[in-house]
Amino acid sequence: MNKEFLKALLKRIISSLITLFLLISFLFVLIRLSPGDPTHKFLSAKFSPELKIKVTADFKLDQPIYEQYINFVANIFKGDLGISYNYRMPVLSVVWQFLSFTLLFASISFVIQIIISFYLSIKSIRKKGNTFDKVVSKLSLIVYATPAFVLGVFLIYLFSVQLNLFPSSGSKSLDFDSFSIAGKIGDYFWHLTLPIITLSSAGIAIFYKYLRDNLEETYQQPFILNLRASGYDEKVILIKHVLPNAIRPLISVAGIELGILLGGALITEIIFGLPGMGRLMMSSIFERDYPLVIGCALTAGLIIIISNFIADLLKMKLDKRMIKGLMN
Amino acid sequence: MKFKPQIWHLLLFFWITIIIIRVELLIDLVVLWAKYFLLFISDFNIAMQLLDFNLIDSILSIKLFIIIPIILFLFRKKSLWLKASLNFSSLTLVMLLLAFIFAPIITDENPEFQKDLKMTKLLTPLSSVKILHLSKKENTPTSALEKFINYKHKIIKPSYNENIILVNNVEVKSDRIVYSQKNIQKEINFSDVQIKDGIPFVTNKIFILGTDEFGRDIFTRLIYGARISLLVGIGAVVVSLLIGLSFGFIAGFKGGFIDIIFSRLTDLFLAFPIIYFIVLILALFGNSLLAVIIVLGLSGWMGLFKIVKSEVLAEKNKDYIITAGMLGQTNRKILTKEILPVIFVPLVVNIVFQFSNVILAESALSYLGLGTGNSYPSWGAMIESGQRYIIKAWWMISFPGLILVATLLSANDFGRRLNKVINPGIRK
Repeated sequence: MNKEFLKALLKRIISSLITLFLLISFLFVLIRLSPGDPTHKFLSAKFSPELKIKVTADFKLDQPIYEQYINFVANIFKGDLGISYNYRMPVLSVVWQFLSFTLLFASISFVIQIIISFYLSIKSIRKKGNTFDKVVSKLSLIVYATPAFVLGVFLIYLFSVQLNLFPSSGSKSLDFDSFSIAGKIGDYFWHLTLPIITLSSAGIAIFYKYLRDNLEETYQQPFILNLRASGYDEKVILIKHVLPNAIRPLISVAGIELGILLGGALITEIIFGLPGMGRLMMSSIFERDYPLVIGCALTAGLIIIISNFIADLLKMKLDKRMIKGLMN
Repeated sequence: MKFKPQIWHLLLFFWITIIIIRVELLIDLVVLWAKYFLLFISDFNIAMQLLDFNLIDSILSIKLFIIIPIILFLFRKKSLWLKASLNFSSLTLVMLLLAFIFAPIITDENPEFQKDLKMTKLLTPLSSVKILHLSKKENTPTSALEKFINYKHKIIKPSYNENIILVNNVEVKSDRIVYSQKNIQKEINFSDVQIKDGIPFVTNKIFILGTDEFGRDIFTRLIYGARISLLVGIGAVVVSLLIGLSFGFIAGFKGGFIDIIFSRLTDLFLAFPIIYFIVLILALFGNSLLAVIIVLGLSGWMGLFKIVKSEVLAEKNKDYIITAGMLGQTNRKILTKEILPVIFVPLVVNIVFQFSNVILAESALSYLGLGTGNSYPSWGAMIESGQRYIIKAWWMISFPGLILVATLLSANDFGRRLNKVINPGIRK
């Protein structure tokens, strides 16, 4: 670790913190601007005005707006996001319950995306121009253009309605508790098969396209010709020389891809009725459960900020030139 | 010589097909246009009162429809667009554009038309029902105005028509008419129906793509849904273009503190999962057509901003810009006259991709129930309702789904082609 690296790291951390701070302020403004009086959640208009004043004072809504803002920011940094109206629990614990599912769901999908897109792109680059390559390339365009909700419903129609192979919604069977541990895991994955296909397909198409383009570009560079002329094995060239060069640009794509993954998870969770962040967010919005809305939005933003940060860190590790890029 | 289809061939084909299918409607529309014109001259105030969206829509589309052959005749040799060859993506996009403009001519039905739910609910594609026309109950119009309004309602179909009955079968029994709806038989007096050549006047109605759970024609709803999708797409792209251009110009031209602020703002928008942002705003502030357009526009300006900023930064210090500044040009003039034409080219590709993103987002929002509302048919909402009837009615979901995928596919393909034309260096 040299000085330059640390300096770049510090700069990156500060800019992430500023973004986080802006995100919090943005949420505050949004919630304050939205129509509707928060006290109406607890009071009918028929009650005495004194009671309303009391509730307003209890929630500190009578304080000037900047003090409310300071309170809001301070509470968030203390980790106190308030209590959900609906679940009657601290927001953090509710979010954590649902977040764990989405994290598991998204990371399984992420790993599957990486594995399949690697396999497909390497296979199609090695047999460049033949039928497999052409078919997969065309197919990836179609899959990329297919919205998650069309694909998901199509899968439900095919596998749940017609073939009756997979369940169409939920994350566990009714008699889940009676299964052994292996049975529980199996049941879980049985329910998650269709959602994971739905969530992964667009990502596979994106990764496939980037990876295939990168691989093709790398294969055309002079040093590959040199290696071939020196008599290296094709496999060695691919694994030791082509892949490391091709992966680098993919990392920044992966950072962006995580945002798409979270958005896709929202839709997928709603199609298949899964207990995840996306559905929590939707239901909390429709039930006007403001603390929970803020909690969900903040968590989602935080995940993206952290993942972008990690992606930049990896890029810095892999490519020293990136440090200079980040410094400017 | 091999025949290569071009876009103007498609337009000509469309024009001839419509003339063959809808010749009556076209004549009626021309007459309506003429009558409205007469009314407009004779009584301006009443004409303005009668003016509503449907009337403007119908008259505009019949005008444009008449212009088509003239445009084709004049420009088919000159225009690059009309000469462009026809493939899957251009076919889809041109068809969408035609559906967008000529919706009231392509289909003579109201997208919200509902009648005799028992008869029309969840009909399979290509099924047909018979229409029994009742004799008009209203008294004969006296003034010219009433006549015009009656005529208008005859041509521009309202969402409900009390003068028809949808039936399976009609039989004449002595002095009464017996009609059947599914397995229920009903009777009606001879004097209540329109009579033609001694028998009741019955016409056929075909639902090409079937009907949905409310008995509405899916084909018509798809055509009108294309309008909403394109409208939202164009509107949102214009909004994000305005934001991206102005922010990008300011950030690139001024630099310094303003640049930092705008860049952080961009990071913020990129850091937030966009769909969460859109859902949050729409759910908090209510969803309507305008709200959807503005929010989708607000959520898509980051890419345009980055392009504009980097291009402005690159162009700012070039000689011709500096010269223009020295010659005393104002900043505004430099931006609009010198920089805008240069950055327009890289912007176009981004705009096309943005357009397809917005269409996708709009249908996703409609799917989630946060779209443009129930007053307009939307592909996403059709898919959502199709999902609920997936076991009973496969056509309710497959047609909107297919059209949505085809649209997104061709918009992406169009963007890629454009990119290749504009940046010839890019490899396939």
